[in-house]
Amino acid sequence: MKRAIELKKVCFAYDKKEVIKDISLILRDKEFIGIIGPNGAGKSTLLKLLCGILKPRIGKVFIYEEELQNMNQKEIARTIGFVPQETHFALNFSISDIVSMGRFPYLNPFQKLSAEDKEAIEKALVQASITEYRNRPINSLSSGERQRVVIARALAQKPKILLLDEPTSHLDLHHQYRIMELLRKLNTEGITIVIVNHDLNLASLFCNRLFLLKTGKIWATGTAREIINVKTLKAVYGITVQVINHPQTGVPQIILPSKEQ
Amino acid sequence: MNKTLFVVILFILAVVLSLLVGPAQLNNQILQLRISRAVLGIFAGGILAFCGGILQGLFGNPLVEPYTLGAASGAALGGSIGVLVFGTVSPFLAFLGASGVGFFVYTIARLEGGLFRDRLILAGVVMSFLCSSLVMIIMVMGGKELYEILYLLMGYLGIIINTTNRILIIFLIIISLATVIFLYRFHRELDIISQGMETAAGLGIDIQKFSLIIFFATSLIIGFTVSIVGAIGFVGLIIPHIARLLFGPKHLYNLPASFILGGTFLLLADTLSRIITVYELPVGVVTSLIGVPFFIYLYKK
Amino acid sequence: MRCIRAIILFLITINLFNCSKKNNTKSLRIVSLSPAMTEIIFALGGEHYLVGTTTFCTYPEAAKKTYKVGDFSHPSLERILAQKPSLVVVNPPEQNHIIRELKKLKIPLFISQPRCIEDIYKEISEIGHIIKKEDQADSLVNFMKNNLKPIKKDKIKTVYVELSSRPLITVGQKSFLNELISLTGGKNIFTDIKKAYPIVTQEEIIRRNPDIVILLHPGNIKDRLGWQKLEAVKRKQVYKNLNPDILLRPGPRLVQGYNKLKKILSE
Repeated sequence: MKRAIELKKVCFAYDKKEVIKDISLILRDKEFIGIIGPNGAGKSTLLKLLCGILKPRIGKVFIYEEELQNMNQKEIARTIGFVPQETHFALNFSISDIVSMGRFPYLNPFQKLSAEDKEAIEKALVQASITEYRNRPINSLSSGERQRVVIARALAQKPKILLLDEPTSHLDLHHQYRIMELLRKLNTEGITIVIVNHDLNLASLFCNRLFLLKTGKIWATGTAREIINVKTLKAVYGITVQVINHPQTGVPQIILPSKEQ
Repeated sequence: MNKTLFVVILFILAVVLSLLVGPAQLNNQILQLRISRAVLGIFAGGILAFCGGILQGLFGNPLVEPYTLGAASGAALGGSIGVLVFGTVSPFLAFLGASGVGFFVYTIARLEGGLFRDRLILAGVVMSFLCSSLVMIIMVMGGKELYEILYLLMGYLGIIINTTNRILIIFLIIISLATVIFLYRFHRELDIISQGMETAAGLGIDIQKFSLIIFFATSLIIGFTVSIVGAIGFVGLIIPHIARLLFGPKHLYNLPASFILGGTFLLLADTLSRIITVYELPVGVVTSLIGVPFFIYLYKK
Repeated sequence: MRCIRAIILFLITINLFNCSKKNNTKSLRIVSLSPAMTEIIFALGGEHYLVGTTTFCTYPEAAKKTYKVGDFSHPSLERILAQKPSLVVVNPPEQNHIIRELKKLKIPLFISQPRCIEDIYKEISEIGHIIKKEDQADSLVNFMKNNLKPIKKDKIKTVYVELSSRPLITVGQKSFLNELISLTGGKNIFTDIKKAYPIVTQEEIIRRNPDIVILLHPGNIKDRLGWQKLEAVKRKQVYKNLNPDILLRPGPRLVQGYNKLKKILSE
């Protein structure tokens, strides 16, 4: 398997607060990775280190064997799509305008959209199933629909890797599930997916490998079956939960206790 | 396309009106006067509205205006020091003040952690307050210099372009227009950055470098503008909003519209300021008088 | 480019017609942006040379009817030029910006900037010379000199003059009123401040405890805390409703101001 992203002994700190402590990891091509862990464990920071939005203090990052420091931002953006936790829609762009922004890494200042660009945009709209919204202003959409727009914008970048920071938070059950289904579909089409997620059940159900982070270090890594168990969760989250197996797939699912034991 | 035509016609109308309308009979001298005002009006209005549009985009904040980053108060401070030292407002010192404050704002913004872009606003506001109080001290202590500084703070377009200052003004206008075109290249970045810093970084924009380029380029031309015509208010704040209401959120369209509309509005306002009363109303007052009703009308629509 | 040049040429030609019709025969055309100089020109009988004044030029009555080119601090350059002046009387520093533009247009300027009463006499003679009224100028200067003689008093009363209450603005060493007060045998309590119109604090006024208070604005001091113990208030020497123009305008009416002050100081 090709190495999509590799971190070698990476440390990162905001000012003096150390957030990532000496992490080394390898993400393989076409994996569906989930980064989980308690608040403040450094999940989002790790995600931003993976795509060069943040630069490591110490250590090296490689993207498809190429060192990230030797790549410029636009080059990275042609390989990695990033969906941030929050997007501001201060200006009321139309959906197609927003998805077109995904072509930015390919365009010069006054270059018009080429046939290739238009094709990529069209494909992204289809993949995210938002073609019927293309002329609507963004402010007329619900947050579930907006999340699809943001994912479509990242898809227009034609990325080999897609990073998403809590893509399902703030969404209702229906939209949570549809977003995760969309990601699974994209994964089967050959895109490496990395998500940061708080919902362990969703992560367990969809991801084929998990990284469990605690205080800036990788606590455990492996498939859901390997790392999601009562003992680990007690150690990382500090509460005792019940773990049962999913009736259809058998992956572990978590049930919270009715009362602290 | 109708809107483009409307804006262009409005612009031509403003130019013609500003040349033809006024309390005096037109002659060679009066024409020189009015051409000077028209040139300065288009230049200042255009630059201020354009920079306002860019900065509102960069900061994702509709209340940001060209003077938020301290250029106006810096120019006033530089100008005031000039008045103290040489007895007259020198555009050079006003410009030095504007860029000096820009440099301080940049330094303060770099001091502490957090997002550089947001701290620029705070540093700008803080430096503005500091400069304003220094100007106040000079005004209170100086006394007779006060009037020159007052004009720098209010803005005044009645500067006649003649052989002695022509080269300087043409030079400044050319540099400013070149900077405007340079900044216009970043229309896509501005579209993207309005959706948040992380979005922009994810799409391949180097946020820190980009903020820095925009900050210095706009400070430069705002400094030029203020040093020539003073800190004319309103245009840089409201015109970008009007341009967005008319031409949508894409900076590819609304930035040039801001430029043209800014020039148009300032010209119309200046023409009115010359004819409404016997004395000349400060042009900033009139811009608000005609701009705000127009803005409300568009907003309602 | 050619198109623009054609438009400009067209505009100029239209206006050549306009000005040829209005060409005036009189050679001396004065625009006065100084209310005091307007008064002086009227007093010398040169009002027919005045083709423009400011809205502040309200004395004598006939001055109100002259063509107005703007107010004192915002005159309209275009209105000034419209009157095709051969001389513009200006008052720095308030009019510095307009002076700069007039200089660019090479319009002759009479810069009126009297710093003391002696300067006023000089300026009266100068303008008298320009409008060929030398005799009238001489007699006006003599009249003023005779009526503005210093008065010696045994007991010098202290005077506080207030131009504005928020902030408290008074007169300092570099104002006429200061000179006028000492001429009439009084002493301005802020004569030590080397400015024309300084801003002062309440406490300083109370500390200096003036014998006489003159208010040149519509307010009063009845409700001011701590002012009731002032010497001036105790002796009922607080004067209101004076015409500020006779005290502050460096023109012929200073004589009226002098007489008014003399009366106040001898009460």
